[in-house]
Amino acid sequence: MLLILEVIGLVLLGGYEFLQVDWRDIDLRTLQPQAVELAVFALFIPSAILTLLSALSFLFLYRRGWLLAAIAQGLSLAVCLWLYSWFQPGYVYPIMAYCVLMILYLNSQDVRMVFRTGQQASHEN
Amino acid sequence: MKTESPGVEAATALLRRFEPVIRSTTGDKFYPMDVEPYVRACSLWVQRPGEEAVCVVPGGKLSLDRLAQQPMDEAGAVHFLKFTDTEDLRSDSPGGRLRVFRSRAKDRKESTRAFRAGRGRLARVGYFSRFVDALYSIALLARGRVPGESAAAASVAYERIMAGQEHYRYHGRVLRQDGWIVLQYWLFYPFNDWRSGFFGANDHEADWEKVFVYLSETEAGEVRPEWVAYAAHNYTGDNLRRRWDDPELEKVGEHPVIYVGAGSHASYFAPGEYLTELTLPLPSPLARVAGAIRTFWKTRLGQYVGDGEEDGGSGYFSIPFVDYARGDGLSVGEGGDRAWDEPRLIADPTPDWVSDYRGLWGLYARDPFEGEDAPAGPMYNRDKSVSRAWYDPVGWAGLDKVAPPTETLEAILEQRADIISRCSTLRTEIEDKSRQLKKLGAELAAMRDRSHLDAPYRAGTRRVAELSRELDRLRGKLATDEAISESLAEYADRLRAGERDQARAHISRAHKPASEDELRVSRVAEAWAAISVSLMLISFVGIAMFEREHIISMLVFSIAFFAFVEAGFRGRLVNLVSSANIGLAVVATLIIFYEFFWQLVVAAVLVIGLYVLWDNLRELRR
Repeated sequence: MLLILEVIGLVLLGGYEFLQVDWRDIDLRTLQPQAVELAVFALFIPSAILTLLSALSFLFLYRRGWLLAAIAQGLSLAVCLWLYSWFQPGYVYPIMAYCVLMILYLNSQDVRMVFRTGQQASHEN
Repeated sequence: MKTESPGVEAATALLRRFEPVIRSTTGDKFYPMDVEPYVRACSLWVQRPGEEAVCVVPGGKLSLDRLAQQPMDEAGAVHFLKFTDTEDLRSDSPGGRLRVFRSRAKDRKESTRAFRAGRGRLARVGYFSRFVDALYSIALLARGRVPGESAAAASVAYERIMAGQEHYRYHGRVLRQDGWIVLQYWLFYPFNDWRSGFFGANDHEADWEKVFVYLSETEAGEVRPEWVAYAAHNYTGDNLRRRWDDPELEKVGEHPVIYVGAGSHASYFAPGEYLTELTLPLPSPLARVAGAIRTFWKTRLGQYVGDGEEDGGSGYFSIPFVDYARGDGLSVGEGGDRAWDEPRLIADPTPDWVSDYRGLWGLYARDPFEGEDAPAGPMYNRDKSVSRAWYDPVGWAGLDKVAPPTETLEAILEQRADIISRCSTLRTEIEDKSRQLKKLGAELAAMRDRSHLDAPYRAGTRRVAELSRELDRLRGKLATDEAISESLAEYADRLRAGERDQARAHISRAHKPASEDELRVSRVAEAWAAISVSLMLISFVGIAMFEREHIISMLVFSIAFFAFVEAGFRGRLVNLVSSANIGLAVVATLIIFYEFFWQLVVAAVLVIGLYVLWDNLRELRR
């Protein structure tokens, strides 16, 4: 549920950024800052897809779901930190905060124990 | 502590009845031998502080009797033997260098043909351990160590002795301690070539290994084997011993089977390849900080910290070594390729060569970590203190808390009687204190609401609280003691019915050989393990030289790449992702705090305010 919420959030943020751009005045030589921010937002597409896949894996109780979700969160955070170091777009902060909470949740003792048997069976891989 | 030995004949008979069968690994060159020909082939030296080592008795003139007389002993002096013939190593000796060269070439050829290392030790452990391992190898150049030719020279000397008289002998000692009869089998190997022959941690001249069999004696005077303890490296305690009926303990008739580590001569219960890690502890301030962070992370944040790390993890750096105890080589003992010769008995009074020679039994390499120094004899540690295995063999294997079967029931009943008597005393005490408390309670009730008695009322209240706590503690103790007494009664009933404890209940961490799955790894993984540390360092240098503009991002990318490949090979992708995520989350949290500090403070105050409001309104509605 939390993962699906995250995907919805990412889509909404992307939509909001899309609407912020004044497409009629767009000039490819001097791009608006909003257009740049929207362009780099595309970097979240792979992690959004991974998050969606992990949410589906959780629904169908696939044990790889945890790994997919963790990779998706890590990827999102890495993208956020990279964007922060270059453009500091406003949308990275809510994504960062959400990802931090998700990482703490995924790494909590209870959640890890649920997925532990499966991980052990596959040598924690 | 009662320690006494039976007579010589009885002791020898007992030793021979339960003498072990040793199964070595193909490629091993040294086997248990008698100390007498070894000492005869050695020279005796003394190393005094700040001086060059001095030869006290030259090679060929030493005997077991002479060994016990240690001249030039003074504070800080270390006596040691030299087994490898220095003449053999010297280039000016007639044919010396050539002989060693030939011997080394022959050894290498035979070893390569006979012994093949399994999955590389480096492929079984992480990057950091490999890096520490590289430093350890480099440190060997600076530390004192046994010269490279020594293994070959020792092999030549050993073959010379065996050509004179081939023999396989152990040194036996029998003693009684705490109701047990302890059979001590001291195995002496002339050389430990674990490092030079089998990629292990160290080489040293002389190697004393030990195997103890613990017997109980019935009232009719019959002896029964109950436990066996094998020494492996410096391990001590419960994990060393196995009960006689433990399925892991292999036996040929009444003879326990030992699988001997190639080169190291450590003893194992099962054949296989054992990963032994030399753990280097963190400096204590760092260990304390790391421990505090771990506790906060685990208990306060409820986060997962992984398996086997619950002990606080004081040792974060470990160097891996593999002990090959395959048991596919020469076997000595009952049903083996060779039979044991008559043992050399270490009877009472203790022979002088055991009790009076406190020096090392081989070369003193002056290694600060002592790994390359020869060991002391059966009775002593390297620092000349008496070894626990000698004076307390029962405690050495953690058997001091276990009564022999004939005494177990008696011990249980005695302990139960003690507890019952303690319970009776406790009941009387509780009764007294309870009566006292009631009287005090009545006194307090009488003083209540009397302003002139406020001070004694307050003092009385304190006394009542104290007495109440004391009574609670005593009642808790009584309840526990009663439960223990009941448990002891049930335990005694089970024993009377012939039931026994679980054979492996005492083992907390059994030393297990690597599983088939662990050994099944591709050559690519091994090659990766061998080159990865160097490759990573070279890539760092390359980035520093050619990509200075993007040095940070390139370094991050390169580390991520190596970590990902490594985790893939070692099946630790989950751990990697988890650790990386935690690192990223910490950085992101710091950034959020940095960017929105005041907003977060305001939000926190608002949240607290709203919570207080909600809590108060909830109370109001009730």
